[in-house]
Amino acid sequence: MKNPFEAFHNIGVRRREIPLDTILKSKEETLARILRGYEDLLRNEAKDLVWLMQYSTVIKAYGMAEKRIEELEYTAEDIEEFCYALDRSDQIPYLITGPAGVYISALCNYAPEEEITLNLRDVNVKINLLGYRLPPNKKLVVNGNLGDFSGIGLDGGELIVEGSCKNYTGAGMKRGLLTVRHNLGFNTGHGMTGGEIHVGGRIKGLGKIVGGKIFEGDQLIFPNEGVKPYYF
Amino acid sequence: MEVKKTIENIWPKVRKKHLFPQIPVPEVVEGEEAVALEIKSKQLRISKAFCEKLTHTMKNEDIVEAILDHGISHYMYCPWDFHTYLTLYNEAKKVVKKKDLAQRATSSFVDVVSDTYCVRDKETKIPELYKNIRTTGLNEVLTSLYERIWGFDMGRGRGDERISRLSRIPYLERKRWRESVKKFTTIIQDILEEDLEDEQQENQRGQNPMGEHSLSDYSLEEIDQGLREFAGSVQDLQQFKETLEDLKEELEEQGYASGGMGRGTGNPIDADLLYYMKIAESYTLPIRSLPIEKTGDLYPYSHAPWEVGKPVSHIDVWTSFGKIMPGISQLWKRKEGETYGELEGTPDCLIVIDSSGSMVNPRERLSHAVLGAACACNAYLKNGARVAVYNFSDAFRDNKVIMDFNYEKERAYRSICKYFGGGTALDLDDILYLLVRADNPDIFIITDMQITNLETLIGFFNQIQNRVTAVHLGHNVHSSRFKEGTNKRSNISVFNVKNKVDIPKIVLGQINEYLLSSPTRH
Amino acid sequence: MQDGHYQKRLRNMYNYISDNLYLNRPDIEIKGEKFNSALLLGLLSAINRGKELIIGEPGLGKTTSAEYVGSIVYRYPLGVIWGSEVPGHPEQTEEKIIGRPHLGELSKGNEKVVWSNFAQIPVKVVDEINRLPETKQSMILNGVDRGNWEYLNETLINDEYSLFATCNYQDRGTNTIIPPLIDRFDILVESRHPGPNIAFTIGMEAKRDHPLRHPEYEKRLHEILRGDEAYEEKMLLAEEISDLFGEYMKENLGLEGLTKQERRESSSQIEKIGFDLEANSFTRMMLAELSFCHKFGQKRSLEQCEEGCHYTGYLCHHVKNCASNRLPISIRNYAQTLAWFLEDEEVDLEHVRLITPYTLAHRIQWKDSYLSKKEGEGRNDPLQIYMAREATEEVFKRYSEQREYLTEAFSVAYRAFDQDEIAPLDGDHPIYEAIKRDIGAKDEKPV
Repeated sequence: MKNPFEAFHNIGVRRREIPLDTILKSKEETLARILRGYEDLLRNEAKDLVWLMQYSTVIKAYGMAEKRIEELEYTAEDIEEFCYALDRSDQIPYLITGPAGVYISALCNYAPEEEITLNLRDVNVKINLLGYRLPPNKKLVVNGNLGDFSGIGLDGGELIVEGSCKNYTGAGMKRGLLTVRHNLGFNTGHGMTGGEIHVGGRIKGLGKIVGGKIFEGDQLIFPNEGVKPYYF
Repeated sequence: MEVKKTIENIWPKVRKKHLFPQIPVPEVVEGEEAVALEIKSKQLRISKAFCEKLTHTMKNEDIVEAILDHGISHYMYCPWDFHTYLTLYNEAKKVVKKKDLAQRATSSFVDVVSDTYCVRDKETKIPELYKNIRTTGLNEVLTSLYERIWGFDMGRGRGDERISRLSRIPYLERKRWRESVKKFTTIIQDILEEDLEDEQQENQRGQNPMGEHSLSDYSLEEIDQGLREFAGSVQDLQQFKETLEDLKEELEEQGYASGGMGRGTGNPIDADLLYYMKIAESYTLPIRSLPIEKTGDLYPYSHAPWEVGKPVSHIDVWTSFGKIMPGISQLWKRKEGETYGELEGTPDCLIVIDSSGSMVNPRERLSHAVLGAACACNAYLKNGARVAVYNFSDAFRDNKVIMDFNYEKERAYRSICKYFGGGTALDLDDILYLLVRADNPDIFIITDMQITNLETLIGFFNQIQNRVTAVHLGHNVHSSRFKEGTNKRSNISVFNVKNKVDIPKIVLGQINEYLLSSPTRH
Repeated sequence: MQDGHYQKRLRNMYNYISDNLYLNRPDIEIKGEKFNSALLLGLLSAINRGKELIIGEPGLGKTTSAEYVGSIVYRYPLGVIWGSEVPGHPEQTEEKIIGRPHLGELSKGNEKVVWSNFAQIPVKVVDEINRLPETKQSMILNGVDRGNWEYLNETLINDEYSLFATCNYQDRGTNTIIPPLIDRFDILVESRHPGPNIAFTIGMEAKRDHPLRHPEYEKRLHEILRGDEAYEEKMLLAEEISDLFGEYMKENLGLEGLTKQERRESSSQIEKIGFDLEANSFTRMMLAELSFCHKFGQKRSLEQCEEGCHYTGYLCHHVKNCASNRLPISIRNYAQTLAWFLEDEEVDLEHVRLITPYTLAHRIQWKDSYLSKKEGEGRNDPLQIYMAREATEEVFKRYSEQREYLTEAFSVAYRAFDQDEIAPLDGDHPIYEAIKRDIGAKDEKPV
């Protein structure tokens, strides 16, 4: 039978490649590697898609995340891409915000840049646990809103949130600076031992704070007359 | 430089390169040195001054070809149509919140996409053109971006982090343009604001060397089509409204009015009305075609062999060769002819719509009740009938609109879209007043049935002969009572709608049945 | 014959008819030139032995345009064309359309057929074809399709012919054209109103003596057609008279028709014109959308498309019937003829985009839902042609978005068809599924 595609037998691939194609290809590959790391983390940490928010599970998850990203080469923009990918269910079939936040925190902490900006205004999901163990000499700026436990265990770095956060912000913070432009939820600074939290808007409630300072606007609200340090 | 002659020489080659766009031959205008191109309703106009300025650095043909490549790729690739432009504008506006900034961001994005498409997929001198144009502000940033993503040296240097971010956007993936334009706008937002400030201080608008994009790029038909598609694609009414409010002045300048094109600049655009009009256009019934009917006359239809016993008078002499013989002679079989009849006029329609507090405000969110009423209005007007509207909330407190039978679509839409948000009572005198002004009109009533004088309404419907379709939302004791009260009447159809999105289909389905059952006459 | 010579003659014919006989407004544009669609496509039909259906309001030149084109291209005086026309009316019979027995011979007991002029001459005009009852339409199917006419036990085969049929819009006393007959027409065109200014000029300049009439040659041709010679002999004799009429046209009107040999040469030149890859790919994409059905294998008129189908964005969702194999033949023939007429080396996308709506307009049955959306839109063409044009542009938009990938897909398919171990490329468009079926690969998209 005659080949109906005879007319096309001389055709090779004609498309020219421009640097944009290379950049995008490299971006996709990096994202794929980051995603694989995240999926590995979930497989180990979130059995049956359940992950309990506990001190020990966070530490363990962070340790696993560090291992996964050890050999990855990525930039701050790749981290932002990953955050967007969390929002798209076709790329990430299931999202558990706890491990996701820990993973992103690890990515930020080990990123080559000293200052990282994540534009997350269009990301619908509110990431929890972002800023975990942010080290000294690291500045993380988030344009958008975050979830619970933002800045948890902050370890000398600077976290700026151009938006609001939910509950347990700055929990277990050791040192460093956490600035939130709008509002915070309950249990702010719970277990905080050092560092400063500055809030542009309102704080719904404070947690059991051990040390450090918390400002609501210009006003120091911890420690002050009404709120004393807590001893666990 | 003979720009016109150059265009004539290279136009066939450029057309072929871009798969023969259906646009007229570009014209030359004196123009400005700073702006290469102007596009108005598909007509490309190249600035002679711009071309002459570059002749010492580039060949004439290359300059003109690059400009044409840019202009044509806007037509053939991005934005392609007005709907795409509106979609991109809408997304950009979500980031920058201001009309001016959103328009510039959209314009720049569209330029980047079109030029990148040309560079990757066609043989073009666009990179060389940008290399030789002096740019500042945002245009300078974009030229640095081009250098990075096209791989051409344009003497701008490596660029900063902003360029790095911009270069990671998938410009040539059409499906991702919505998110891409948002990212693009976010990254350039600060420069856009700076440029705008500078212009306000210098009191002079900055110029895009490759021309600005605006509504004048599109014809009225394209704008109409684009608005229709945009209304169907946005998530809610507010987005449509906002976008339309931003572009209202330009639309009115173009001569576009709510009722459609060419109605004159006297009718200001009402975004809500336009929204429902455009969405309702997606729900249409075909115009009734002429029915085939028997004429009552017998016509010769076909031949059959003549047999002994059959009438000799039916024999066709010609085909029988003049013989009367079984096996040779043929007779005519006659059949009743069929022809096209005429349609009985479609009855007029009275639309009764509830705009009490329990119904959705159509100017805040998409109201499927209003959409259903709009579909009914369209269907009857399209079939040559008139429409009256009775929009009620608490009619006894004058919360009502009574629109008499007429053919004016825009007037009907205004009446349908009116929202009172008060109590729910209708005045039967108003309905009676309207009913006598037409010959046995159909009645469509769309309500949630929480009407204080429901029993009176039931009694009224039980007395009239008009065809009544009642569409009610949700299931409650009132709707059950209505159904029970009217179930003996064959001229009343009641539909309980669980899912609001079904309202237009239900309305159209019923109208279709009515139209099909309308009698015909010879 | 020198290159472009026949094309020049055809252009001359176009200009003459346009300036003197069929005054019109240009309504299409190609390669920077403007033409009137009815006249241009009529000429192309005459030269490529096509079958054209002409619609329009009464009195707008449907029949006359066909008569003029036929008369000039084939060099038959107008009176012969008039005498050979088949008027559509319910009382038409086979004997009036095709042929009748020779009554003298019949009374001697011999069967001999007297063929009608319509069956014999190469220019066939059926006026108001939709007034023919359906049985009569069925009768002429074979003749329309292949030029084969049968009566009693004799057959007449036309070695060349063009068919022009006119059709008013639907009104009282008309029938529909049966689907098998309508599919046999290559193109549908509209003969339009030329506008008030040109119409006024027509009124002013109406002449009594028609320049394309020649009573003496008409008489001789009628005698030949009535004669007892064999059909082939008659045609040779008729060609001699046509030569004379051709000379007359050249001397008096400055017009050169085409001899039979020249028409053959033109056809041969036309057939050699190839399609460039763009035109080739685009046409295949168009055909895919009009014949494809993911669920049922192919489009069928009696099978309903489902709302939730993946392919609802394509033309296959909006049409009821399947495109026949005559569609690509029509597209190819007319696109080649158009490219030849414009003296282009090969058929490109512009030729195909221009021709396709006219080949498609009468063949597609649109679903009511799609029809109702389009019928209210502003347009310059009758609804059938407008919708076909819109459909063509819709497919073109899809084509221009993915043409590189599509060409690559065809290239891969070529190798896969020849049993190379290579996987076909995947894509959203029906053409990719069609490619897989052609090479025997499994399509894994769920139904």
